[in-house]
Amino acid sequence: MASKRTSVLAIAAILIALLAFSFIRSGSLGNFGITVLSGLFQGMLLFLVASGLSIVFGLMDVLNLAQGSFFMLGAYVAYDVQHPGGVVDLTAAVPDPNLRFVLAVIVTVLVGAALGAVLERGLLRRLYIRPVFQLVLTFGVSLVMLELVKAIWTTTPFSWTETFGVRENFFTLFDQRFSTYRLFVVGIGLLLIVGIALLLNRTRIGIIIRAGVEDSEMVQALGINVRVVFTLVFTLGCAIAALGGAVAAPFLGASTTLASTFLLQAIAVVVLGGLGSYEGTAVGSLMVGLSIAVAQDAAIGTSLSMLPSITPMLLLVLVLLIRPSGLFGEAR
Amino acid sequence: MSKALRQNGLLLLLLAFLIGFPFLVGWLTDSSPVGIPRGDRMVMRGESVRWQAVLIEVYILAILAMSYNLLFGFTGVVSFGHALFFGMGSYILGLSLEYTGLDTGLALTLGVLAGIVICGLLGLLIGFVTLRLRGVYFAIFTLAVAEMFFIFFGRFQLTRAEDGFAISELPLWLDPAQNRLTFYYVALALFVATFLFIRRVVKSPTGAVFEAIRENEDRAQALGYNTLRFKLLSIMMAAMIAAVAGMLQVLLNKKVGPELLGVSYTVDPLLMTVIGGVGTFAGPVIGATGLHLLDVFFRNSAISIGSFTIDIATVWPLLLGGIFIVVVLIFPQGVVGTWRRWRQKARSPAQRAGPPTARPRPKEAPE
Repeated sequence: MASKRTSVLAIAAILIALLAFSFIRSGSLGNFGITVLSGLFQGMLLFLVASGLSIVFGLMDVLNLAQGSFFMLGAYVAYDVQHPGGVVDLTAAVPDPNLRFVLAVIVTVLVGAALGAVLERGLLRRLYIRPVFQLVLTFGVSLVMLELVKAIWTTTPFSWTETFGVRENFFTLFDQRFSTYRLFVVGIGLLLIVGIALLLNRTRIGIIIRAGVEDSEMVQALGINVRVVFTLVFTLGCAIAALGGAVAAPFLGASTTLASTFLLQAIAVVVLGGLGSYEGTAVGSLMVGLSIAVAQDAAIGTSLSMLPSITPMLLLVLVLLIRPSGLFGEAR
Repeated sequence: MSKALRQNGLLLLLLAFLIGFPFLVGWLTDSSPVGIPRGDRMVMRGESVRWQAVLIEVYILAILAMSYNLLFGFTGVVSFGHALFFGMGSYILGLSLEYTGLDTGLALTLGVLAGIVICGLLGLLIGFVTLRLRGVYFAIFTLAVAEMFFIFFGRFQLTRAEDGFAISELPLWLDPAQNRLTFYYVALALFVATFLFIRRVVKSPTGAVFEAIRENEDRAQALGYNTLRFKLLSIMMAAMIAAVAGMLQVLLNKKVGPELLGVSYTVDPLLMTVIGGVGTFAGPVIGATGLHLLDVFFRNSAISIGSFTIDIATVWPLLLGGIFIVVVLIFPQGVVGTWRRWRQKARSPAQRAGPPTARPRPKEAPE
């Protein structure tokens, strides 16, 4: 338990240092607030990708390198459903853009879940005896998904043009305009953090998942069909990553670079928090999100334009050098 | 004994073909293997010269794939950042040639040595940090470090950011724009040297430990081997060989840019190794040759089915990814391994049943 307390202290110290640095730099409460909200926004998006990555790794020992591609696919599907033209055109059937956005999110989640289930059932399941090839396979799947997206939607990035209610709203605080949409995404992220925590801690399936993270063979020996749980968790992870892409798209647009960017950031989060640890992933997402926002703020007006994109990788390298098992991970 | 001789005989035959290749193409297409002289300079034009460039690219990719195979196929360590060593080797050589202001010959020697040493140390460092942990950490770490260097050099003003910089001067004897035939033989020599080196290493006692680590690391450790040290040796050698491939690429194109650090130089050797045959000597070479030649053939071709035209160049990566997944799932030993198993299957029932003509062979049950 002592190590856990040091971890919590370390996290608090890093967070306070980050915020203090940002506060001193920004000078005003309004600018500081914008940096914090931006950090929370990015952190929540990261959580949506990283949670699946972490739980799947803990349970199945599979690092799904296609997780970032599900995020990217989610962004493209949501964009396609919302906007006129493209693969499906719903502007005539559903003229209300707000309703169409809800529809877009639902369609995206379903597509992500279906593809995730196919990936686990059809491909990964055959390879549990050869774990190295599982890693290689998910890498291959990420390439195929990237090429598929390029083939369907071309390589030109899309920027979100359709306007709808919550995306356009602003609220004012400390003489600064804040985007309500960012707050909305942060809210969705918080809901999911709590929801998944409840699922893991309060339900029977959650107990099985947690037991499986500890020792899946033992769970199987107790007469529980772990394979079904594997499929379920993998599907859920992919669906959540796709959901992340869908809610990110109105802000970030849809582009092929999303896949590798979010995969690497999510990996940084998962390693930072400790592979397979749920609370570690939640805390790690916020830390990486905030540090990216602070780096973005710090890079303005300097020649260090690459700083924000390198920050997660620097964090990852640093954590692996100092504490490879992560903040909440057990040493193995 | 005779089997070994036969196999080496095949290799020697292949080598003779590759040595004679520029002249063979030159003779077949009636073009000069050294290009066309114009004044005191040579112009690289003609089929022979063009095909030399294609084969040089094959050698480069094969060297890269062989180094990947040493790590992945023989030691069982997965790297997702092999482009890091390829690209760093090329950047170090490029920087030495362009930014030190030394005499080109000296800069070339220095750059090659520095590139090999630095990449070896980089591999050693990355391995030292992550190889004590579970295999997945090494994969993650290489992926992250490669991406970090890619982003860094893509925005680094000194090396002209994403445009990269060109190499203005090379020693005349090596310059592929002047003496491509010489460069062809240099690349061929390095390719053969890499092949022999890796075969020598893997067949040595050290290589036996590599394979033991791949099969079961705990058991290798229990036998008293310091597996970390052997894995470090493997990653260091792989990094150095990949750096050599990167340098050849720089010399061939006379240009350095962040694309050399990009993910495609990680993906290519991975695909080539897996499709060709993981953990075999010929696999990566066959994979590199096959995939690169297909790439060259498909680059400007399109298939028309009725009114529907498919541009193969754009579909090719997708197709390749699909092939890769099928190979991983169904033929995990790649072309070489599958072929070997076929031959074994075809042979063993015949041996058991005496001469194959003695009686009709029973039909094999479908698997």
